[in-house]
Parts: sequence; structure tokens; C-alpha cells
Amino acid sequence: MSKPAAAIPAPGSVTQEPVQPRARQKTKNKNFKQNNLAGYLFISPWLIGFLLFGLIPLIMSFALAFTDYDILSGGDFIGLDNFHRMFFEDARYGRSVLATFRYVFASVPLRLIFALAIAMLLNTKRRGIYWYRAAYYVPSVIGGSVAVAVMWRQIFGRDGVVNAVANLLGLESVNWFGNPDTAIWTLILLAVWQFGSPMLIFLAGLRQIPQEMYESASIDGANGWEKFMRITLPLLTPIIFFNLILQTISGFKVFTSAFIVTGGAPLDTTLFYSLYLYNRGFANFQMGYAAAMAWVMLVIIAILTAISFKLSSYWVFYETEVK
Amino acid sequence: MSTKKFSLALLIILTLSMLSATMVAGQDTLELQMTWWGSQNRHDRTIAVIEAYEAENPGIDIVYEFSNFTDYWPLLQTKAAAGQLPCIMQHDYAFLAEWANRGLLLPLNPYFEDGTIDVSNVAQSIIDSGSIDGQAYGLSLGTNSPALILDVDQFEAAGLELPPTDWTFADFEQIANQLHEELGIWAISYGMFDPQFWRGIYISRGEWIFNEEGTGLGYEDDQPFIDYLNMLIRLQESGAIATAEEAVEASANGHENSPIVTGGEAMRYQWSNQVVSIFAAAGEGRNFRLWPLPRPEGGASANYLKPSMFFSIPSQCQNPDEAAAFINYFTNDLEANEILFAERGVPISTEVQEHLRPMLDTVGTETFDFIATVAEDASPVPPPEPQGWSDLSANIFGPEVIEPIQYGLITPEEGMVILREGAADILSQNE
Repeated sequence: MSKPAAAIPAPGSVTQEPVQPRARQKTKNKNFKQNNLAGYLFISPWLIGFLLFGLIPLIMSFALAFTDYDILSGGDFIGLDNFHRMFFEDARYGRSVLATFRYVFASVPLRLIFALAIAMLLNTKRRGIYWYRAAYYVPSVIGGSVAVAVMWRQIFGRDGVVNAVANLLGLESVNWFGNPDTAIWTLILLAVWQFGSPMLIFLAGLRQIPQEMYESASIDGANGWEKFMRITLPLLTPIIFFNLILQTISGFKVFTSAFIVTGGAPLDTTLFYSLYLYNRGFANFQMGYAAAMAWVMLVIIAILTAISFKLSSYWVFYETEVK
Repeated sequence: MSTKKFSLALLIILTLSMLSATMVAGQDTLELQMTWWGSQNRHDRTIAVIEAYEAENPGIDIVYEFSNFTDYWPLLQTKAAAGQLPCIMQHDYAFLAEWANRGLLLPLNPYFEDGTIDVSNVAQSIIDSGSIDGQAYGLSLGTNSPALILDVDQFEAAGLELPPTDWTFADFEQIANQLHEELGIWAISYGMFDPQFWRGIYISRGEWIFNEEGTGLGYEDDQPFIDYLNMLIRLQESGAIATAEEAVEASANGHENSPIVTGGEAMRYQWSNQVVSIFAAAGEGRNFRLWPLPRPEGGASANYLKPSMFFSIPSQCQNPDEAAAFINYFTNDLEANEILFAERGVPISTEVQEHLRPMLDTVGTETFDFIATVAEDASPVPPPEPQGWSDLSANIFGPEVIEPIQYGLITPEEGMVILREGAADILSQNE
């Protein structure tokens, strides 16, 4: 009895072309080249843009990282001085790395948990469900904007909504932005509030789980929690992994909220990496140093991503790998 | 017409129109570019003066760009790198040395000497304040001095008389505590940790915080500043000034909602040319006076006549003579200064000062009187900050020294060690 899986090629496997007689080889090559040319022409705007505004600045930035360029005068080559200063002499650098890591390791898991929880709630066909999905998605569209950040500063201000509600409940007003322990949580909350985009991806993933699995599980006597732990979660692990990588990378790039809402204060507890890089580069004009910081961030994110991929083989279950 | 021919025609038309748009630069008027920073108040006044100048000089077209202070410097740095600096650039004391040393600014002395810029009514010390090694790289746009705004009504309610103008820190501490005890508000919420007080303490002792070469700190004795910081810590504990967390909140909502306007404090630290917005927000019927800063016991005045900002002519400018003519108009023309109305500080020309005095409103008169009071025993103007000041102030003075002291994480003595090391580190690159 042959398994159904053998008849259908696994996704991604290459189908072999039937062998052609030699005489037709030349025409085939010419058509091939012409098709390629058309393709390249179509992507040429993007390609030119990428080369001019992506690749070349990237290379220049790498070169600048080894200089003391400060816009007003050309940079002199100073070797690894920038990196040495960063790691061994700059106290604020250490604080900014710490603040960024705290932010990422708090906001990303919380965001994913909320995204998954709400996605499961919204995975129904009730009337008006589209409105709910849109409503939960909207924050992630507008949340990164300056306007929302300014509003967030008002909400958590001394006379803002949060303190007003706290007072109504009989609690004292909290100085959210002045206290070094609470300031970062206002920004983490802002990030978690924007769980809409991972939520939509989870929704798509949830839809792919065949209902038969749940039905057969019910027949076998599984309760809701067991269904979640044994069916939903394992089948969702590729999506969770995808979201995890994406959210971690974008978490490290956080800038707008810190820049507008707290400015890195108090005591550098919200001095996120991108914000500190911006300050060094554009407020202090130490562009060489800022470029060096940018490349170190790239390396950090690359290492974390590589670790995540390595670890993923232990917990991520890809259906296509089932033999 | 076939679709292909139509699209070709459209493409040609669009290309030609784009080309012609770039060619309409107009060669019969001379274009000067100008930049400045400020509040909307300043933008409106400056634009009115520009338009008046253009009306009198039809061959000149001034293209201007303005922003707030924080965004201004990245903007101008980028322009410098692109070789597109304006012909008339508003400049600041903190950056003048950096730009002049890199050859980005033209010396203005030739224009003073041949009268293109008439400085016959301007005191020499004001011209010196924009000079480095005898070359003037900027002309002051107004005289300024740091002040404490005193709310006279609050003082009366607390049973206090206004202090003498040469009051000391001991007087200040006593007054602050009495204001807090009697009225239950802050004597002054934030602002006492500003680096200006650091400068003022050493100016009172006849020293300067940096040495002459700009390669390190210019004083040996940290104790006066330590004493000052300890006084502030005592005042924080007694509640007379805001704690660090309270200061964050108090400063969050802009000048219009600052505690002195809302009645949350009796004094406020402000440069004399920035008081207009405070007075305006407080409205009629408030009784504010401008007072010189307190000084250490037995010291000279902590105040000096600082140029609020300068106009400089970058060396990249193609038309420096016309730029100089505009700067002359800005400085000396009586009607232009009626529009500007001392918004950038007390005008440097004594003729303009006398012309404006009868027209001044409350805040204007108060400012002019304040500068006159300061002028009576002002200390000499210190040199411009050395290169590296912005780095020192943003990365050492604030986050490494003052903030930890405010939050009680380090003592002022430890803070001074950090300050000295940080300054040596950053400024030694000026060798």
C-alpha cells in the first residue's frame, strides 16, 4: 500500500524537465536569455534603488565604522578605536544594550502570547468578526507613528488617563516617566499593544489546522487545554518561530517610541540601542562611532537569529518533514 | 493615435516639463539662503523683516529655512557636508568654535572695517564675544544673560522681600526653604542643575570651567561645585525643589504649562531672551521680575553679557557681500528692529536700544532693565565653549554626573571625579 504522500511531490521539490533532443537546445537557450532579460528589466528600478540606496551606503557605513568621521571634516582611519571605546570605555553603551535586551525579552514574548490568544478567540465565523479583526489590527498599523507616541506620553503623564483611572480606583498616581523602574514598561506596553500583525499571521496559521484533528481528539476524550497543547501549539510552531524571529529583529530596531515618549530617560533605562546610535550620530555628530554601533547591532541580531535557528530544530515541527 | 505613440508623446512632454522646471531658476534676482532656529514667534518676526528687506532691495531674493533648536544642527551639519550652507546662518556660542576651526565660517572683520556692517554703536566686548583669536566669526544678535524669574506675588504671600541683586547661595537656600514652608509649593522646580550654574560658580571666582587651550577643565578646586550640589540635595530633601522624578513631570508640558505659570513654583531659571513666552503664558496681572543668579559667598557676579546667538557667513557662500549687507540691515535698521522687538535678546546697537525703549511692553522693559542691572557688575564674557562641549554635556555632564546625583545614586564628590575624567577624555582630543 503506497502512502499518499509519495504520489504528490513535497512542496519545494524540483520537477525534472523531460530531456530535449540536442537540435532544439540553441533555441531554448535564446528564449531562456530573452526571458531573463525581460525579468531583469522589470526589476531594474528596484535593483538600481537597492544598489544606490542600499548596498553602496552599506559598504560606506562599514568603511566609516573604522574612522572618526563627524560630517564637518573627513574621517581619518582609526582602526578599531571605535569598537574599543564602545566595549570598554562607554558606560552609556552598556546601559543601552541592557535596556534594549530588557525591552526585547519582555515585549516579544508578551506580544506573541497576546497575539496567539486573541487570534484563537477571533478564529470563528461569527457575525462582525471582520470588524473585530480589523480593530485589533489597527494599533499595529498606526502604533509606530509619532502621533501615537505623543499621545502615549499624555496618557501616562501626571494628569493622564492612566493616573486618572488609578485615582478612581483609589490608588495613588504613579510617576510613570520619572521613575527608572516604570518608564521602560510604558514602552513595553506600547509594543505589546501593537500585537495585530503577528495576530493576523497566527490566524492564518490556525486556519490551516484541519478540523478533523480536533474532532478526532474530542472523540478520544481530550479537553480544551489538551487540544491546545497537543494539536494547536505543535502545529503552530513554524508560525511561532517565524513570528519570533521577525518580532525579535524589529524589537531590536525600536526607535520612535523611545525617542518621542521618554528620550532615553530616566537614567538611561530607556536609552535603546537605535536611539543611542542616533544621538551619537546626529546629536553629537560622531558618525564613525555610530556606524560602528550599527554594525555591532547587525552582528548581535545575526548571532541571536542563528541561535534561534539552531534551537528551532528541537521544538519546531514541520509537517513536510513527516516521512 | 496608437497607444504606443501616445505613451511616447506623454513621456516626452513630461520629461520636457520637468527639465524646464529646473531651468526656471531666474537669473535676474540674486538669491541668498538663510537659516535660523526658534519658536513660531521668532519665525514670524524674522520673515516679516526679510520681506521688508526684499521690498527695499528688489534685486535680492532671500530663501529661508527654519526649525527648532534640536533639529537645526543635524540639518546644518548635513548641509555643510553637502556643500550647501546658506549665506546667512544663525549660529550658537556652543558651536561657533567648532565651525570656525574647521574653516566653515568667514571672518567678518573686513566688513566691520569698511562699514558694510556698521558697528559704531556696538560695544567692543560684544564684538569680542563672537571672536576667536581676534577674528570675528559671528555678529551677536542680542545680549542675553541667565536669570531667575521671581514671582513677586508669591514672595509677598510668603512674607519675603525681594533679595538684593548680589544675593548669595546661602540667601537662596534660606529663601527657598521659607517659600516652600509658607506656601507649600516648590521654591523652584527644576533648572538648578543646569550647567549654567556650574559655569557661574567658577566665573564668580574669576575662573573658567575650561582651560585656555580647551583641552581640559580650567580649575583645580571641585569643592565650590560640590557645596552647590549638596545644597541642592538638601533642598530636594526639604521639598523646596523637585526630586528627579517630579522634575521629569514638571518639565514635560512646555513653557505654557510650566509650574511658574500654573502657580506650582515661585522662581524659574530661564535665559533672559526666553522669558517672553513665560510672561505671555502667565498673562496679564502676574508680577514677574528678572533677577541675576545667586553667587557663592564673596564672589563676583555669576552673570555676564552673553551673545544670545550670532549671524555668521559660511565660507561656502557665493555672495558674502550681499549677506553682510543684510546682516547690517538686521542689526541697525530701526524699523526692522521694531518688528523683531528684541525677541533674540537686547539689541547690540545702543541706538536701536534707545529707539525701542519707549515702545516696550512689560516683559520688554523688564528684560532691558535686567540687562542694565547685570551690566553694572557683570563678569567678563567667557570664551566660547571648546570643541567637544556638546559631547561632554550630552554624554557625561547629564547622564553620568548630574542624573545619578539627582537620583541619589552617587555623591557629588564621586560625580566630580567622573566629570573631571570625562572632560579630560573628551577635551584632550583638542590637542
